[in-house]
Amino acid sequence: MAINHMLLLTILGAPLLTALGLVVFQKKVARSAGWIAAAGAALSLAAVLALLPALRRDEISALALRWIPEAGIEFGLHVDWLTLPFLVTEAVVTLVAILYSWGYHQVDARTPNFYALLLLFAVGMSGTTIADDMFLFYIFWELMLIASCVLILVWGDGERRGAVALKYFIFTHAGSLMVLVGLILLYGETGSDSFAVLRAGQWALAPGLVTAVITLFILGFCVKMAIFPVHLWLPDAHTVAPMPVTIMLAAAMLSMGVYGILRFPMSIFSAEQLLPFAAPMMIAGIISEVYGALMALAEQDVKRIVAYSSVSQMGYILFGLGTLTREGVIGATLHVIYHAIVKALLFMVMGLVIRATGRRRIGELGGLGRSMPVVAVCAAIGALGIAGMPPLGIFTSEWMIFSGGFHTAHIGLSIVTLFSSLLTVIYALLLVGRIFVGAPPEGLKVGPLPKAMVLTTIAVTVLLIIEGLWPAPLFDWAEHELLLLLGGIL
Amino acid sequence: MIESTVWVALPLTILTGGAFGLYVLARLLRLRNTHLAALTAGVFAVALLSLTPLFALVRAGAAPFFGAPTPGSAFLQADAAGLLLTAIACGLGVAVALYSGHYISLDQRFITYYPLLLMLIAGMIGMLLAADLFNLYLFCELMSISAYVLVAFRRHTDTAIEAGFKYLVMGSVGTLIMLLGIAFVYRETGQLTLPLENGIPGPWRRAGIACLLVGLGVKSAIVPLHTWLPDAYGRAPSSVSALLAAVISKSTLILMLKVALGLGLPAATLGLGLLLLSFLNMTLGNGLALVQTHTKRLLAYSSIAQTGYIMFSLGIGLRYELPAALQAGLFLLLTHAVMKATAFLSKGVCHFYCNTTLVTELRGTAQQLPLAALTFALSLAGLAGIPPLAGFVSKWFILTECLRAADWLAYVGLAIFLLNSLLALGYYLPLIVQLFTPAPARTGGAPARIGISPWMAVPLLTLAALIIAIGLYPGPWLAWVR
Repeated sequence: MAINHMLLLTILGAPLLTALGLVVFQKKVARSAGWIAAAGAALSLAAVLALLPALRRDEISALALRWIPEAGIEFGLHVDWLTLPFLVTEAVVTLVAILYSWGYHQVDARTPNFYALLLLFAVGMSGTTIADDMFLFYIFWELMLIASCVLILVWGDGERRGAVALKYFIFTHAGSLMVLVGLILLYGETGSDSFAVLRAGQWALAPGLVTAVITLFILGFCVKMAIFPVHLWLPDAHTVAPMPVTIMLAAAMLSMGVYGILRFPMSIFSAEQLLPFAAPMMIAGIISEVYGALMALAEQDVKRIVAYSSVSQMGYILFGLGTLTREGVIGATLHVIYHAIVKALLFMVMGLVIRATGRRRIGELGGLGRSMPVVAVCAAIGALGIAGMPPLGIFTSEWMIFSGGFHTAHIGLSIVTLFSSLLTVIYALLLVGRIFVGAPPEGLKVGPLPKAMVLTTIAVTVLLIIEGLWPAPLFDWAEHELLLLLGGIL
Repeated sequence: MIESTVWVALPLTILTGGAFGLYVLARLLRLRNTHLAALTAGVFAVALLSLTPLFALVRAGAAPFFGAPTPGSAFLQADAAGLLLTAIACGLGVAVALYSGHYISLDQRFITYYPLLLMLIAGMIGMLLAADLFNLYLFCELMSISAYVLVAFRRHTDTAIEAGFKYLVMGSVGTLIMLLGIAFVYRETGQLTLPLENGIPGPWRRAGIACLLVGLGVKSAIVPLHTWLPDAYGRAPSSVSALLAAVISKSTLILMLKVALGLGLPAATLGLGLLLLSFLNMTLGNGLALVQTHTKRLLAYSSIAQTGYIMFSLGIGLRYELPAALQAGLFLLLTHAVMKATAFLSKGVCHFYCNTTLVTELRGTAQQLPLAALTFALSLAGLAGIPPLAGFVSKWFILTECLRAADWLAYVGLAIFLLNSLLALGYYLPLIVQLFTPAPARTGGAPARIGISPWMAVPLLTLAALIIAIGLYPGPWLAWVR
């Protein structure tokens, strides 16, 4: 068991100490900061993977230390099957983003701080998933907001970055406050802020309070997921953030909202209590899907197009969760993982296009397939991936989500969501087609590409294909996760 | 019967004695500013240390007093809340005195500055520990007069004189009303001890309580009696603003509870009043802070809002008989003192080196004064209640207690409280953004980095470290509030 404790602490400690070291010794490590940060992130990922065998043996990996006994607050960490998909996704995306930064980020005196903040952002996300106590959960939850906000504020593109960072912070913080009130309502009823007590289920809420708590949680987490109409922070934040941060925001941070919904409303309340929220969640999901896809068609900036596609994809996930069926929830979980990889790939490709040409408007691009063929192939695979083309992963997860929808009473909604996925195909293919095919517009110059960026992009493409061809382990994770949800009845 | 103990009078004696001794020494030996600062800090530190036995006594459940042993004729009596504020004031006093070692170095009249600081805190301590209304009034005046002079300390500027005068007029009216209230109470009961022993208040005593509440309300800047505060805090030297905002105006708030409850006002009524007024304080303070262009006035309005949060928590505690909510309020008082003092002192550094007063002029602070920018940003983030800093922990405790009250008024209050903390982000965050936005390029390249004097850097860093420490490990501090 002691080994598991060490691993749990390594998941957080390795990036945290690396970040601290980078900040303290920043004068000495300016050139090697990227390597050091990657080592920290890799160590964290290794610790996550090393926990897998224990999880398979049904050993409980948990840690609880005294922290603020006066208020009944503990320092608790815990890994279970519900945590795992998110934890792995987050750790992989962080490593990818850091490797990508090797090429993307120009080394200067502040470089160590950049990498330190990326690592802190990662600590925020992994801490959120493994925290076993409300107080700790909320601290990590806000840490990811603060770290990403500072990254946007200091390293963002353009003059408007201050305003964008502000908008991002206020929107997400408003959501966080709703989550906080929900948490404290639970705390008031159970008298303990440990999730272990929540899981044990030896408590009951008044029916009115149940509705209030579920509403607060779902609304609060939907802000993080950027569901229409509380998505307003997302396009700006994604567009202005430096590309590695955008990758982490889109591929990992959005799914923290999904984790929240799974961890709180869906695993501590019963299916009957959640049933009134099923249809609203499905409808909100559909609206996000359609709206995000339409906006992706309408936008000109390549980064904003991919950003709006996130709004759309989070809509599918919310729809899947809202079905409250076995297939829907498995589909939503798989979609989190697949979407992370595909979205990271698409943003990486856009980063390469912007770096090579210095242009961001889709009308000013074209015919790049001849000058950068490798990138074009990666982009095409990414576009097919997000469009749901078999055998790439999203085909599987969308299939599960739709089939979840058809198991509910709301067949009409399921038909709508099925057809709205056609829009995804249109914007994905149009995006890649207009950039890489056709005649290049006048004056388009293609600059050299940093090797680190290209190699990472290729690696992610390969990962996407592998995941699509070999989905069995992921299915297995999702199956185990189901036992923890809604009293294990799915 | 407990013996009268001299420990209660000791901090007061040390501070007043220190004030006189310091002035005489400074005149005789022609001491320099730095010497005086170090000596003053020493006096504050000794006073802080002399509190240790008192804390032990109070924690053991005793109510140590100083004076005659018969009931009703004690001169000073220590209680938990008063001691807490005394300790905060002495601790901050050390920081502020050290900070002034460089901050005041350009002012000619530094010889009067340090004794006034000591008298200010001495007055506050006397007022908090006083066991009867007469002494309370006396010490309150001592504190107020020192405060008026300190606010107008830079008398060569018109604005400082104006702010000091406004403060003087409003403060004097406040103390006069208090005096009237004391007279009313005396007319009915014939005695001035706190707490009064005989039962239900008659009309005169009720009028007296009302007068005392209004008078202390002016001093604590409870809306709508707050109008002096933005001017006073905005124009006083930053070191003085730090003390005023952190402890002085909060001490009268605590005193208000002690006096009103001691004179027989039911706790639930007082709680309801505090609760309703706190909504005004929060909303008005945050709302007006949003439109401020002058950094210190912004901080002053944020102080009004934070007073509202403290009142909210205290009000919940009194109305619903939740002692934990009272503790949460005191805990916020402690954390707010640390955070607001850090904010004012950091602002003072910017003003001292770069002569910034407006929010927009703070641009580029991170390049020129990285340390001040960092501590300023930390304190602002703390005030905004962002985890894992001290402000968040206090917010967490207040929220938990508020939900425990389980009453519609508490829920409404909770909603107002949360909306306000969102509203407050609207001015804390832009300020942080300003601090870290590079200054517009001027001719002559980027502005050079300025080294901060260690007299300023050490107190600032200590306070900033406290903000993080209290946030991450609030256990011992919480125990202290108890």
